[in-house]
Amino acid sequence: MPADGLIATLSATPLFAIALTLAAFLAGNALFTRLKRPAWLPAVLIAAVLLAALLALLKLPYARYQQGAEWLTLLLGPATVALGLPLYQQRPHIRALWRELAVCLPIAASLAACYALGLAWLLGAPPTLLASLAAKSVTAPIAIGITEQIGGSVALMLGALLVTGVATAAFTGPAARWLKIEDERIIGFALGLNGHAIGTVRAFELSPAAGAFASLGMSLTGIFTALFLPLAWHLVGVGP
Amino acid sequence: MPALTGFLWLIGYYLIGEGVIHLSGLPVSAGVVGMLALTATLIVLGRVPASLGAAAQPLIAMLAMLIMPGVVGVFFILDELAGQWWIILGALILGTLASVATTLWLLKRLMENRHAR
Repeated sequence: MPADGLIATLSATPLFAIALTLAAFLAGNALFTRLKRPAWLPAVLIAAVLLAALLALLKLPYARYQQGAEWLTLLLGPATVALGLPLYQQRPHIRALWRELAVCLPIAASLAACYALGLAWLLGAPPTLLASLAAKSVTAPIAIGITEQIGGSVALMLGALLVTGVATAAFTGPAARWLKIEDERIIGFALGLNGHAIGTVRAFELSPAAGAFASLGMSLTGIFTALFLPLAWHLVGVGP
Repeated sequence: MPALTGFLWLIGYYLIGEGVIHLSGLPVSAGVVGMLALTATLIVLGRVPASLGAAAQPLIAMLAMLIMPGVVGVFFILDELAGQWWIILGALILGTLASVATTLWLLKRLMENRHAR
C-alpha cells in the first residue's frame, strides 16, 4: 500500500513524532479551553487521547513513535532543573512558615505515597505495580526519574499521576469544608502536595495565595520524595 | 541570545547532577540534583539572571507537552493490566482521599498551635 509506505518514510525522521506530539498538545489545549476548563478532565489527558487515536489511525507502533519522541523527552532533564527557579521565588513563604512546613512536609508527603501503596499491597499488587504507583503525588518530571530508579513502569506511573491529580482537585474542596478550613494557604498546600501540577492549576483558580502555596507544596514534595523514596525502596528490599 | 545562555546554564546544572550521582552513587535523578544546585546558586546570588528566566519559563510552560509521549504509553499497556485495574484505581482514589484529609488536618493543627503560642 502506498499510504503505508508514506507513513514508513515519514516516521523515519524523529520530526514526525515531534509534529504529532505538538499537534495533539495544541489541539488538546484548544479543546480544553473550549470545554471551559473542566477540573475532572486535564488538558494533558485530552491531548494524550488525541495522540493515541492519531497513532492508531496512522498504524504507527508506539515503540516507533517513542523512538522519535525521545528527542523531545530529552528536554525533561533541563526542564526539571528549571523548576529550581520557581522554588527560589517561594523563599518568602518558606521563611514565614518554615516550622510548620518542616513538620508537615515529611509526614504528609510520606503518607501521600504510603496510603496508596499500603492499599495496593493489601489488594495483592505485585512489586512492579507498587513501584509504578509509588511516585503518584510527585510532579511528572521528577516522578519519571524516581520511577526509573525503583524499577516501575513510567507509562503506568503517568496514568496514576493523572488519576491522583484529578482526585485531589475533586476531593480537596469538600474535605476542607468538612474540616472547617478556610485558610487558602492550607488548601493550596494540600492541593500541591497531593495533586502535583493538576492540583496546583486548581489552586490558582481559587486564589493567587492558594496557587503560591500549591507550587510550594508541589516542589517540596517532589524534592522530599526524590531524595527519600528510592532510598526507602532499597532499604525495604522491594526494589530490583 | 539570552535564552540560549540560560539554556546552557540549565544543561550545565543537569550535567553537574549527572556528575554528582556518578561520584556519590546516590539513588536520585540528575534533574533533581541539578535543580537543588541551581536553587542554592540563586540563593547565593540573591537574584535571578535574566538569561536564566528567559530559558526556564518557556521550558516550564511546555512541561505538560514533554510528558505526553510517556502519558500516551498508558493506552498501550492497558491489555497487560487487565486484571489489576480495580486494584490500581481503588488504591489511588482511596489513598488520595485519605492523604488529602491528612494533609489538611495536620497543617491546620500546626497553624493553630502557632497562633496559640
